[in-house]
Amino acid sequence: MSESQDLLSYPPIDPVNFDLIIVGTGLSESIVAAAASAAGKTILHLDPNSFYGSHFASLSFLDFTSYLTSPNPLPAAVTTTDSEDVVVDLLHQPICSDAEISCYDEYSFLCENSRKFNIDLGGPRALFSADRTVDLLLKSGAAQYLEFKGIDESFVYEPNGGLANVPDSRGAIFRDKKLSLKEKNQLMRFFKLVQQHLDDTQEEKISEEDMEIPFVSFLEKMKLPPKIKSILLYAIALVDYDQDSNEVCKDLLKTKDGIDCLAQYSSSVGRFPNAPGALLYPIYGEGELPQAFCRRAAVKGCIYVLRMPVVSLLMDKATGLYKGVRLASGQDLYSQQLILDPSFTIPSPLSLSPRDFPCERLQMWSQRDIKGMVARGICITRSSIKPAVTNCSVVYPPRSLYPEQMTSIKSLQIGPNLAVCPEGTFILYFSTLCNNADEGKNLLKAAMNALLTLPVSGNTESVSSVQSDSEDTKPIVLWSALYIQKLIVSNFELISSSSTPDGNLNYNDLLDAAEKLFRQMFPNEEFFPKVTTSPEEPTDEDDNGLTLDS
Amino acid sequence: MASRRRMLLKVIILGDSGVGKTSLMNQYVNRKFSNQYKATIGADFLTKEVQFEDRLFTLQIWDTAGQERFQSLGVAFYRGADCCVLVYDVNVMKSFDNLNHWREEFLIQASPSDPENFPFVVLGNKIDVDGGNSRVISEKKAKAWCASKGNIPYFETSAKEGFNVEAAFQCIAKNALKNEPEEEMYLPDTIEVGGGGRQQRSTGCEC
Repeated sequence: MSESQDLLSYPPIDPVNFDLIIVGTGLSESIVAAAASAAGKTILHLDPNSFYGSHFASLSFLDFTSYLTSPNPLPAAVTTTDSEDVVVDLLHQPICSDAEISCYDEYSFLCENSRKFNIDLGGPRALFSADRTVDLLLKSGAAQYLEFKGIDESFVYEPNGGLANVPDSRGAIFRDKKLSLKEKNQLMRFFKLVQQHLDDTQEEKISEEDMEIPFVSFLEKMKLPPKIKSILLYAIALVDYDQDSNEVCKDLLKTKDGIDCLAQYSSSVGRFPNAPGALLYPIYGEGELPQAFCRRAAVKGCIYVLRMPVVSLLMDKATGLYKGVRLASGQDLYSQQLILDPSFTIPSPLSLSPRDFPCERLQMWSQRDIKGMVARGICITRSSIKPAVTNCSVVYPPRSLYPEQMTSIKSLQIGPNLAVCPEGTFILYFSTLCNNADEGKNLLKAAMNALLTLPVSGNTESVSSVQSDSEDTKPIVLWSALYIQKLIVSNFELISSSSTPDGNLNYNDLLDAAEKLFRQMFPNEEFFPKVTTSPEEPTDEDDNGLTLDS
Repeated sequence: MASRRRMLLKVIILGDSGVGKTSLMNQYVNRKFSNQYKATIGADFLTKEVQFEDRLFTLQIWDTAGQERFQSLGVAFYRGADCCVLVYDVNVMKSFDNLNHWREEFLIQASPSDPENFPFVVLGNKIDVDGGNSRVISEKKAKAWCASKGNIPYFETSAKEGFNVEAAFQCIAKNALKNEPEEEMYLPDTIEVGGGGRQQRSTGCEC
């Protein structure tokens, strides 16, 4: 958020007709903008905020706090009397709610260093080195604006309170001190089986029946002990729900999908020689990704206007179809298609529309279903949860914290070498799917308490003095935030809407949804066609030339 | 490490739409000028090798990609800049008045560790227009503004005729190189998934 208040006044936007108007610069919107620009479409990309990224933004400490606690209401709609179109005012419904922010210590330090923080709104999230996100970054050219670092280690939280390494390679299995020899052999045999299955030159395959059964049953069939099962399901395949409980499991994983996850994981390990594990994280935070796609779009001619709210939709009187939007500046702009950030909706029922206005489709659009919710939590600490490890991921499998825990919790610790926080601090992100706010927050609080010390308010000093005596100190939390975010998946309709951040650790589902939306909007266009680089542009190298800066 | 990380210098060019940012870059790097103005489409960044005191550097000059038109350059654009070039059109008063906005916007977004000494260079472009008869900003006035902002180096240029462009960019390169951040922000083990244009980029300022 720019502090600069005396902004130059914007000239009117010219032209006034576009193929596509997009409101919101979240990841999905930005990917579609880049793809449609590459396909030669004329696009206007607007955002009411002064920063890029919408729900995928990375914000400074103070901006993050104010974003969660005081969401910007839409400015009052400009009322103009004579319009050929039916004007339907938009409603802004923040996708985040129930924010609970606590500051325990060093508030002035956090404020003074506010801009050294880049806090992700949609965290925790990371990329697998070998996943589709990396391919898309290369294909779209967005990769040239981004730099990453590897996440050093991946852990699984164990019910006894310890952190076990996720054994992600043969070497890691050998080195692991927490696995017994028997467990190591079982795991090795299993990895070999999967490897053979994936190797086209090998005869030995997992049977087709086995590929269709639940992965958890297959793992049992392979006689893998519960600990290994848990690592494979929750830390490598990253499923959300307890796979052993038929009643609550909403994402029962089949063997074939489980094998795909293992394959992605193992090809991610070692793809980049200086990335120690399977995961990558962008320097300066997640918010760099939408900005990279937006720059791609801008280079191809997409027009960008930040700080410009859209206040109303312009609908055709006779047909009830979408025609354009009215901006907060009062300007009316028209397009063939519109994508709206998922936080926009319309009042229901429509009160002011003319009696004969066919508004059924619009009403239907406004009643899109919310697919559930995700609880997110953030802690800022002064030390790492694991000595000598800066950036790491932690998965808390179902029932690892308490018996009623039906979903797994994903967590990511990011340190200052990723330029997201000042020297000597760490940011921890937590998320879990949940049915209601209380359930979600309680789960995250348990996850935080398991690895961190959340001082009791007003009792900060005594806590820290007690802690400093003990050898095995849990990091003390300076500041924490908890909030609940609605899950909305992009939708192609009369008016299309984009996706909110989802509950996954990676971007795969979000990318698939963005690509699907693009294909529905432009069925005759290719999604990022292979471009011939112009001489002006720096050569983008071949996609396999994965050179690294080490 | 210190010498290696200085090999790539990021320079960003700011200023109102139409003052000639893209043309200046093109003249400097490709020695080309197009009379046909279109709001920047297709310009991303240009690179040029420069030699300075027996060492070779890559100057990476970033265009605004048109995102300046509605003041919508994201923070990512500003990150890690080693020098910021402010351009105005000597024939357009408003473009000169707005230099202050661009300078402040840069300092806010890039938040360099030492804002007082961060290297800016100001270019007054299009001095060729109408034989200089249509200019509304005198060299004296421009120099006075530069002096008031900590003695920013000032050049009068014509991207069309290639006048003073080389000299201006030599100064830009020299100042970018001098921008030694007090806080070492070198990030080892940086991974670029594409191995594209930004390898060995320096991270000049913490933002």
